[in-house]
Amino acid sequence: MSAAVRYSLLILVFALVVCAFAVLHLGAAADSEVPHVEFNADNIAPRQIEDLTSKSVPRDYGFAWQTMEQALNENRPGLLDGYFTGLAKQDLGNRVKSQIGSGLHTRYQDRGHKLEAIFYAPAGDAMQLRDHAQFDLQVLDGDKVIYDEPVNAEYIVLMTPGADRWLVRQIQAQQMQASQGEK
Amino acid sequence: MNRLSAILVALVLAVAAQAAEIHPPQQVTAGTSITIPTSGSGEATFYLIGPDVASKKKVQAGSDISVESDSLQLAGRYVAVLCASDGCASSNFFVVPAAPNKLSLLVHPSRVPVGSANGISTVAFVFDNFHNFVLKPEQVKFSILPKDAKEISADRGSQNGVAWVRISSAKKEGPVRIAASIGNANEVRVVQQVAAEACNLRIKASRVKNAFLIETDPVRDCSGNSIPDGTVVSFTKSDSAGKTTVDVPIKRGVAKVEMPIDGRARITVASGVVTGNELDVAGGQPQ
Repeated sequence: MSAAVRYSLLILVFALVVCAFAVLHLGAAADSEVPHVEFNADNIAPRQIEDLTSKSVPRDYGFAWQTMEQALNENRPGLLDGYFTGLAKQDLGNRVKSQIGSGLHTRYQDRGHKLEAIFYAPAGDAMQLRDHAQFDLQVLDGDKVIYDEPVNAEYIVLMTPGADRWLVRQIQAQQMQASQGEK
Repeated sequence: MNRLSAILVALVLAVAAQAAEIHPPQQVTAGTSITIPTSGSGEATFYLIGPDVASKKKVQAGSDISVESDSLQLAGRYVAVLCASDGCASSNFFVVPAAPNKLSLLVHPSRVPVGSANGISTVAFVFDNFHNFVLKPEQVKFSILPKDAKEISADRGSQNGVAWVRISSAKKEGPVRIAASIGNANEVRVVQQVAAEACNLRIKASRVKNAFLIETDPVRDCSGNSIPDGTVVSFTKSDSAGKTTVDVPIKRGVAKVEMPIDGRARITVASGVVTGNELDVAGGQPQ
């Protein structure tokens, strides 16, 4: 076998290894998909929402949930840096640290969000939203599932604009009305 | 007799095999400690999962579990889990905000032109001591504290933890303090009211050596407030050679520039969108 053929085979094998690695990596990334966010700004006040903002808010809120779910599952507080700021980042960071200390982690199976914008500050520097979220929640102690339940939850959210995205500054779960059936 | 013994044994076994249960209160006020009754027997593990907590401790099933107030400061959904040898039992509960006692006040902009109708946006977010949104309606008092005038105040009801008001700036430049208060919280921000656009912009020309000195009168807005130094004034010369524009910042209330002029020329002045008078100069003399 000539040297040229041997080198070609080596390059081919190397390319296959790279492709296999890429496929595996893409598969891992797809485990944590961006949740579906249905956005409604019909009742927003007092400022009207701009077209660009009406696209970026639900997009960034979805990314925030994706990174939060990943941070709580993998116990990586650094993942919260992208889409959280202020107290939301601090509180979720404390939760992750607390999970690390207790050997726990939390797994979400996100089933989507109905996000409603309810207040947009006149200066455009803060937006308050209400999120009706549905997800399956599992809490694990090591590998043992200690809690597993489908959840319908309602959150009051405060988002503020950052340099190139909207950031979650506060997220607070509130008790739902009896008719809505908190689980 | 045998049947009775069998029933008794079955009862004893049933009691002994009673699954662990946990009964937290349905609703807790933020920053309050609680005691959670449990049932069952033997060693167990208690977990508390909340917005900023995920704790784990060994307990005795059947005894009461104390949860300290500092684990229950954040409003939101909590899960209490008790795991014994026969499995895990769980129950959810909510921590609700305490009384309003903190405000986060956003006032924009920090500098506003005088006489700007609804030019100052003031938004107050209502929180309890633990920085939870207080979502039930509360009255927030907004106050305007001018430097040399009487305080003006008005109450606004909060909705979902937010109260807001738009404020017009005064006619006279200077700082104004804007405050919002609720409970023991009183937040103050200072907004600098600055002169609006220039008004009645006027220039005059005088000869200096081989050029003309073009100078504005003191530049003021329509309310008589001096336009701040550094504001750019544009002088434009139009002559047979074309147009030349020179941008000059105001210094000590006026803007001036030296322009060499040959033949006839027209000088105009502008600051922002405001234009002033025009001067025609010819043969080195103003007309």
